[in-house]
Amino acid sequence: MVTYIVRRFLYSIPVLFAASVLIFFSVTVAGDPLATLKQNPLASKQTIHNIEKRNHLNDPITTQYAYWLKEAVTNKFGSPLLQPGTKIWDDLKRVIPHTLQLVVLAEVLALLVGISIGVYSAIRQYSIFDYAATTFSFLGFAMPVFWLALMLQILFTNIFIKWHVRIFYTSGLSSQNPGGGIHFWIDRLQHLAIPAMTLMLLSIAQYSRFMRASMLEVVNSDYVRTARAKGLPERKVTLKHALRNALIPVVTVSALNFGALIGGAVITESIFQLDGMGPYFLGALFNQDAYVVMAWLMVTATAVVAFNLIADVLYGYIDPRIRYD
Amino acid sequence: MPEPILSIRDLVVEFATEDGVVHAVDGVTYDVFPGETLGIVGESGSGKSVSQLAILGLIPQPPGRILRGEAEFEGKDLLKMSKKDLRRLRGGQVAMVFQDPMTSLNPVLKIGHQIAEAIQAHQDDVGDKAAKARTIALLELVGVPNPDRRYDQYPHEFSGGMRQRAMIAMAIANDPKLLIADEPTTALDVTIQAQILETLKTAQEESHAATILITHDLGLIAELADRVVVMYAGKVVELTDVQTLFAAPRHPYTVGLMDSLPRLTVDEEWLRPIPGQPPSLISRPPGCAFHPRCFLSQGRTRCRTEEPPLRVIGPDGHLSACHFAEELVGQSSKLIDEPVAGASS
Ligand SMILES: Nc1ncnc2c1ncn2[C@@H]1O[C@H](COP(=O)(O)OP(=O)(O)O)[C@@H](O)[C@H]1O
Ligand code: SF4
Ligand SMILES: [Mg+2]
Repeated sequence: MVTYIVRRFLYSIPVLFAASVLIFFSVTVAGDPLATLKQNPLASKQTIHNIEKRNHLNDPITTQYAYWLKEAVTNKFGSPLLQPGTKIWDDLKRVIPHTLQLVVLAEVLALLVGISIGVYSAIRQYSIFDYAATTFSFLGFAMPVFWLALMLQILFTNIFIKWHVRIFYTSGLSSQNPGGGIHFWIDRLQHLAIPAMTLMLLSIAQYSRFMRASMLEVVNSDYVRTARAKGLPERKVTLKHALRNALIPVVTVSALNFGALIGGAVITESIFQLDGMGPYFLGALFNQDAYVVMAWLMVTATAVVAFNLIADVLYGYIDPRIRYD
Repeated sequence: MPEPILSIRDLVVEFATEDGVVHAVDGVTYDVFPGETLGIVGESGSGKSVSQLAILGLIPQPPGRILRGEAEFEGKDLLKMSKKDLRRLRGGQVAMVFQDPMTSLNPVLKIGHQIAEAIQAHQDDVGDKAAKARTIALLELVGVPNPDRRYDQYPHEFSGGMRQRAMIAMAIANDPKLLIADEPTTALDVTIQAQILETLKTAQEESHAATILITHDLGLIAELADRVVVMYAGKVVELTDVQTLFAAPRHPYTVGLMDSLPRLTVDEEWLRPIPGQPPSLISRPPGCAFHPRCFLSQGRTRCRTEEPPLRVIGPDGHLSACHFAEELVGQSSKLIDEPVAGASS
């Protein structure tokens, strides 16, 4: 198992390297990163020259890449192109945890709820519960994220106005004075709850469908019949013999989801004004700062690779056939 | 005669499918006596597995449905038992070995654990250590080498034959009174089959269990069975002891099965499979379900219109479901003149 994990870990290094090449070259060939700045009458020739020199923008592209990579590895991505005084990492350090908190909260809950719904739907196939779950998941697939977000905001705002109870906050990450320790985290949860619900709906829909299909396949398998034939209680047959096998495909989907959401909760984070990866990326695009965009893309790529690594390890834990090959 | 340990009466099992209702088991009746090996033989799809799975509550319901029947095990009707009582019986007093050892073991759990789990499901007082010791002893008994190392391995580290040995170990773990072996060698390599049969015999001797041996291979029946049930299209068509079956078969289907058996003592030309295909169990042929393939019928109307009942046709309760079973007297199978290896053992 340990060699398996180490091997998987080593595999991700060349993958990240390839990602960095791809990111750098596709962003660089997209155009002169200083094009807008050069049209700005307020920007002096000297400023532009300084930026070009500092980032080696007039060198051949491979040399540029080497300097960028060195800066990224040794200096945590260095400074934005257009604001040499600040550090990219200072911003990333702030927004990454916010996004992680949101995504992990939403996805862990979605996994728990989705898997439970899926398992129950499968063992009670064609029951009312199963039909209700199916309807719910189609709603989940069909509902636009921004619409759901707005509806939830309206709902909880109205509850506050009507009964003056503050269950959840409808925007931002923290109150003015959230307090410390446990108070801070309760306040944070109250802020993250509605955005998390927004993200969860689609994930629950996905996981429950996936789990149902995978479970249905497994409950009719020969080894589940063997488990029954040896007289195990139905609970053990389902939760031990069937569920563990049925989880294998779900691990992959959820790893992909986690990775994608780290970079992709843009709409949700923007609507709820969460200071996360999404709005940060939009800002970088708006400022046309190629170096911030590249740093963001690298972080996202790393997250995707990291969650795939976690999925591989989980895979190996659940399925011994993978561990040993 | 001793009391039967299992007594199946008029069992009817159906499956509701998209194409229609599959009449998988259609009024099956037979007894199993303590200590004996009852062979059930018939082509694939004749309802052999379903009849066993149904009485143990192992067919998926829906689409499966047990329409009627009784299955008395030691005086208690399995079909009327509570789910809980039936669960206690499964893997305890009644154990099963399945056809395909490649898919019948859980790929993500250790072999040893899967057997120990069967022990602990029935014997609450057995601790983990004792269960492990018993499992290793069982693995040794069924001929798995290095059982204490094999205990911690997963199914994919076992060959097909070794997996079937493990399945047999699991089946006898709780000293069953009835062992149901459903085509235990069909999925295995020919070279392994003989070894697994030996293992099965060892297991039988060890547990003193009565055995139901399901197979489509008359050779196995000749070697292992005491009495034989021949099934065709969900029904019993012949039932007798093994010597009588091979010496004086009284159903054209049985004769056909024997003629399709390859024999070393006979010229190749005698090797002839039964013409045609087993019938659809959704719309079974009227009258005798075997009539489209029967050499004896010769187009007689009675075969097409009237369903032949299972009736006594010879001594010791020899049963056959053929209108013209008597015509088979004297008119032997191509093989009956030949000595049948093993039939007298
Ligand atoms: N779960 C199921 N759903 C529908 N039909 C089934 C199911 N299980 C078995 N059958 C049908 O029941 C019939 C008898 O099957 P089976 O008892 O497995 O035959 P065999 O004699 O080969 O063991 C077959 O026609 C098969 O297609
Ligand atoms: S009843 Fe007729 S068709 Fe059926 S087995 Fe006998 S002879 Fe053949
Ligand atoms: Mg079968």
